[in-house]
Amino acid sequence: MSVLKDRLTKSEFVITSEIGPPKGINIEPHLKEAEELKDRVSAINVTDNQSSVMRFGSLATCHLLAKRGIEPVFQVVTRDRNRIALQSDLLSAWGLGVENVLCLTGDHPSLGDHPESKPVYDLDSVQLLQAADSLNQGKDLVGNELDGKPDFFLGAVVTPAADPLEPQIIKMEKKVKAGARFFQTQAVYDAGQFARFMKEVAYLKVPVLAGIVLLKSAGMAKFMNENVAGVNVPQDLIDEMKSVSKEDRPKKSIEIAGRLIKELKPLCQGVHIMPLGWDKYVPQVLDAAGL
Amino acid sequence: MHATIQKPLKEIINALSKDEKVFVVGCGNCAEKCRSGGEEQAREMKARLEKEGVRVVGYAATASGSSLCKLAAAKKLLLEEHKEEVAKADSFLILACGQGIHTVIDATGGAVVHPGCDTIFGGETVSDDFITEYCSLCGECIVEATGGLCPVTICSKGLLNGPCGGAKEGKCEVDKEQDCGWQLIYDRLKELGKLDLFRQYQSPKNYAKRSNPRSLKLEEKRATFKSLAGLRTIGQDR
Ligand code: SF4
Ligand code: SF4
Repeated sequence: MSVLKDRLTKSEFVITSEIGPPKGINIEPHLKEAEELKDRVSAINVTDNQSSVMRFGSLATCHLLAKRGIEPVFQVVTRDRNRIALQSDLLSAWGLGVENVLCLTGDHPSLGDHPESKPVYDLDSVQLLQAADSLNQGKDLVGNELDGKPDFFLGAVVTPAADPLEPQIIKMEKKVKAGARFFQTQAVYDAGQFARFMKEVAYLKVPVLAGIVLLKSAGMAKFMNENVAGVNVPQDLIDEMKSVSKEDRPKKSIEIAGRLIKELKPLCQGVHIMPLGWDKYVPQVLDAAGL
Repeated sequence: MHATIQKPLKEIINALSKDEKVFVVGCGNCAEKCRSGGEEQAREMKARLEKEGVRVVGYAATASGSSLCKLAAAKKLLLEEHKEEVAKADSFLILACGQGIHTVIDATGGAVVHPGCDTIFGGETVSDDFITEYCSLCGECIVEATGGLCPVTICSKGLLNGPCGGAKEGKCEVDKEQDCGWQLIYDRLKELGKLDLFRQYQSPKNYAKRSNPRSLKLEEKRATFKSLAGLRTIGQDR
């Protein structure tokens, strides 16, 4: 059984992290990264052609992780595959040892490195959850019986700092109804704002893992504020990053993330750490957070 | 309205073989409104091509307000009104949408045609100088659930169940200048007091109704839509 599911069901505080497969076939260093985190996390997400940049596949990476005893969360976006391919890949995933699936829409192809490709979006994330949930019940999307059924633990994403928040919450509710049993969020930096979000969605009674993205510099924070949807780094954190020398940035970043996790811990069921290349600092972040 | 935009002259000329005698055909309806192929643009195209050494035997466009994509109109234009010049032509350069291109093939019994325009979308003429798309001709209209605004078209991903995580300050992730379609739908449903419609699950679209080629057969008081989803007849005596 999925350790992630087991721990969330027991209301334990859960930590997940993620890796992004390479552009090419050199997957080994990425598997090593995951191995280093293995003992500190419940599961590791594998992004699916993240930012619409064509890469080594999420499904294959998940399988390689599972073979090494690392529990994967298979991220599936609806951008690149129609409903036949999505369902088929989900069945294949079960056969390859994948039990956790995170269903997303996926960035538009125009943002990636094949901007001329045909965007698929045959299903949206809610419909993908519905399809995966129906596979769990032994039927495909149109009601045909399956010969043997999977038992996926299904997750989805939400943006707690979206403005306006109401459409996000309505969609989150639809995701829960469609089969989502856990949520991982966009990067959170403002515990107060996150607390208000958690209050609004308490009625959904679904575990939420707050997204943590390590701040690498004040410039990165400013860039995210200007360009990344639903990310809001408060000015005092930007000032804090600015106050240290370049060499001390990782230390400061670890301190900020650790503090943030401590603040978020009473509010939610876990954290999802997206290191974006700073994988080596994740253990120190967890130490700083007392986890 | 079928919106069109002229292809670059170089691309048009590259498609012609040496000494090919061309007749330029325009459309007095959509293409004229898009300034891509009314009579004026057909005349200009003739002059521009001749300047580049292309042999142009004539030009014509259906009358202002009348569509080239009506077979009877195209036949009248090419086989009657411009019969003599058309007889000298090896091929036709069509300044109209893709429907118009095929109408010329039909009207001439299979003549060689060259596209002079790219057909870009079906749109609303918001004003004389602005046309934009609000419908993608999907064959299964679902805007009852979205306050009349089409998520298939105004959301860059055609999402049916609500916004993706990419909207920032009401703008779409693909373009900071472009409104997020789901922001517009949310605002409208809220204003109409119909947010409960947004809460309802929208099942995946039936793309069999968007199959191609589709057709519509018209009889007295009956209309039959044919697609891979089957035949659907609507009429008083159905
Ligand atoms: S739902 Fe389909 S038919 Fe209706 S406006 Fe949108 S594209 Fe057009
Ligand atoms: S930002 Fe809005 S319009 Fe753009 S793809 Fe997402 S939901 Fe659709």
